[in-house]
Amino acid sequence: MVAKLTLVTHPELCRDCQACTLACSLYHEGECNLSLARLRVLKDMESYRFEIVVCRQCDEPDCMAACPNEALRLNDWGVPVIFQDECLLCGACDTACPYTALFYDHRTGRYLKCDMCAGRDEGPVCAQVCPVAAITVEPAEVP
Amino acid sequence: MVLNAVPKGGYAGNILDVDLTARTITTRPTLPYVADYLGGRALAARIAWEEMPAGVDAFDPAALVIIATGPLTGTLAPTTGRTVMASLSPRIYPKAWYTHSTIGGWFGPELKYAGFDAIVIRGAASSPARLEVADDKVQLVDAADLWGADARQTQLELKRRLGSETQVLAIGPAGERRVRFATVQHSEENAAGHSGFGAVWGSKNLKAITARGTGGIRVADPAALLDEVLRFGKFRPTPSYMATLPPGVAQKRKPICSQACTFNCGVSNYGFLEDGRAVPGQCVGGLAWVTEDVMGYTRYSGGGMEVPAAPNFGLKKEAWLLELCNSLGLDVWFRLVMIPWLIRCRELGIDAIRGYPIRPDEREWFEQFMHDLAQRRGLGDLFAEDLLRAMDALEGELPAELIALGRELEFGFGYPAHREGRFWDEEPLPFWVFSAMMYASESRDPTIGTHQSGLMLADWVLFDSGEARPKLRRVAEQAWGIPDAFEPSFEGKAPVAVWIQNQHMLIDSLPLCDFAFPLLTRPIEDHVQWRALTDVIGDLDFDRRILAAVTGMNIDREGLTRISARAFALERALLARAGRSRPMEEGLAPHFRLPCRADGTSIDAAGFSRLLDEYFAERGFDLKLGWPQPEGLERLGLAEVAEEIAALRRQREAMEPKCP
Repeated sequence: MVAKLTLVTHPELCRDCQACTLACSLYHEGECNLSLARLRVLKDMESYRFEIVVCRQCDEPDCMAACPNEALRLNDWGVPVIFQDECLLCGACDTACPYTALFYDHRTGRYLKCDMCAGRDEGPVCAQVCPVAAITVEPAEVP
Repeated sequence: MVLNAVPKGGYAGNILDVDLTARTITTRPTLPYVADYLGGRALAARIAWEEMPAGVDAFDPAALVIIATGPLTGTLAPTTGRTVMASLSPRIYPKAWYTHSTIGGWFGPELKYAGFDAIVIRGAASSPARLEVADDKVQLVDAADLWGADARQTQLELKRRLGSETQVLAIGPAGERRVRFATVQHSEENAAGHSGFGAVWGSKNLKAITARGTGGIRVADPAALLDEVLRFGKFRPTPSYMATLPPGVAQKRKPICSQACTFNCGVSNYGFLEDGRAVPGQCVGGLAWVTEDVMGYTRYSGGGMEVPAAPNFGLKKEAWLLELCNSLGLDVWFRLVMIPWLIRCRELGIDAIRGYPIRPDEREWFEQFMHDLAQRRGLGDLFAEDLLRAMDALEGELPAELIALGRELEFGFGYPAHREGRFWDEEPLPFWVFSAMMYASESRDPTIGTHQSGLMLADWVLFDSGEARPKLRRVAEQAWGIPDAFEPSFEGKAPVAVWIQNQHMLIDSLPLCDFAFPLLTRPIEDHVQWRALTDVIGDLDFDRRILAAVTGMNIDREGLTRISARAFALERALLARAGRSRPMEEGLAPHFRLPCRADGTSIDAAGFSRLLDEYFAERGFDLKLGWPQPEGLERLGLAEVAEEIAALRRQREAMEPKCP
């Protein structure tokens, strides 16, 4: 069994350069498109604070439990992934996620979710490109 | 040579045309410009040449404002949040001409995500207006309710109305009142600063432009782009001279930043205001530069005198003044040139001018003076015309020494003295010679053309000349086949000046960050590594490869240089159209008779003239006016430009006195 990993964010280090989101969409979709990334970097200009929104790979994922069609299932690395052909676009997963880490793309009509770049030898591309280590890959808190 | 001129990625595809007078919005395709101009600064020069009427003033409604991204803007390519703004600069003395500025951050990318590579603005609105771009919905909106708000509040309010992901360009009160060094601001730390384009916006009643896009940028070869970025990221990003900074300042790891600067340099620190609000450290006059150490070290000299270091009000107070500058929409450099002038006033016993007290050593006074500049009140109204025009107005009223100092501080046609070895920076021979050639031939100060190519290398020489000279000799030999290029002499420097200019035209057209590119030297970890290395030359092909990965256009170095040379010739033709020529540029010579701060070197008027001979000959421009020659223009595919330049030459010859 491969040890389950997750992404840990350190927003206090973030400067909103968007390298993570651009690398994510480039790797998964072949273009640089913030709307197609599996994570978001949000900035509050009023306070100059940042938020990195990405799936925490919960031990008991609410998104999976909420899906009426079982279109979210664990892959070989223990990560919930969306089987797009089976997704009913009902939004139940989105509503259930406590971290608002599922994203609906209006242009392509799909829900998007981080899969930890499943199968990529170097691991999640967002953590690899982050210039300030605001996203790191850590063992998930499971036995 | 362009092997494949049809882009498969990198471009949004359309250019927006906005006529503020007629209130019309149209689009045109980007593609016809791509092969010859790529984007950014080169694209702007082409549009300005074709569409900006000759002889107009910066505040004439016919003046264009061009906002141009490039093929790399908004992609994962490193440092590509950059966008170019171009227009006529009201700061330039004695009269406006066409120039350009670059602005970092998130606006350019968002504009492309909305589907537009550039915006061309002409005319003037009859009342305050803003342009709203939301994907393909583009409209002019009344902005009377925002007129008078500062640039930060304007941005916050528009984000409240349109969503936090909306990106905003905005002017503050300084722009509204046509202060000649007013900025266009974006986010906290980004500005089109030096050239006073904020005042041009103000003259057009244009308060803000917002962009929100939900699309993306296609990439021709995603795997190649990611591979290049990751390989680049394996280096620590240390620009060479930053290794001379003390440890502990912003130790960032990788240069992969796309839209915010995260470089491993002092300019990307966080700072805090007195009320506890975090602010970004900011390039140019920013927190990192205005630390006690830096300000204590910096002494202004030149103009035949030495002026003490400026007072430093402490990091939090300095951060506040910087924030105020950005909110009011004033170029932060105004403080850097005015502080020594004001201090010299006090040293000469002048404590008031026209009844306005002069107390530059008090933070509260400076804050009030900034408000008065932006609102054009009292003495602020006079200095809102910029330092050179203020010196003209005060001539005979103040000691001649002060007038002379003011004129030296902005000797370059109104731009702050910088990178020329006399005032702010210590650039030993031959680096200030490159700058001198660039001051004499470009539309603006060459600051942005010399960060990586001059500043970084000069700092190595200053840090350890014995170690640096042989290494830079190798670099010069490998890069240009001219081993003497960095030798401390005046001869044979023109090829390097032209190379720097062409490289920076390319960097401003892709665009990339001029602090990071071109990679003339490899990233250096620390002094130990620097000393151990024999070859320090960097990766001078990175820009070409990353362009190919994003666009699929496989353009060789010769082809890229040709694009740069074409755009530079166009910029020079735009200067000719505005009446600028070599005789005006010879007027810069006295500044370079002042001794270089670093090594005491200088050059007399005859020597300066020889530098210009060498430079213009290297460019293939004529030696009398310094204008492009017909055959050179035709080789660059600019036959119609050659015709107009020939007509301008005939006009000048007709005006010259004839010998009996």
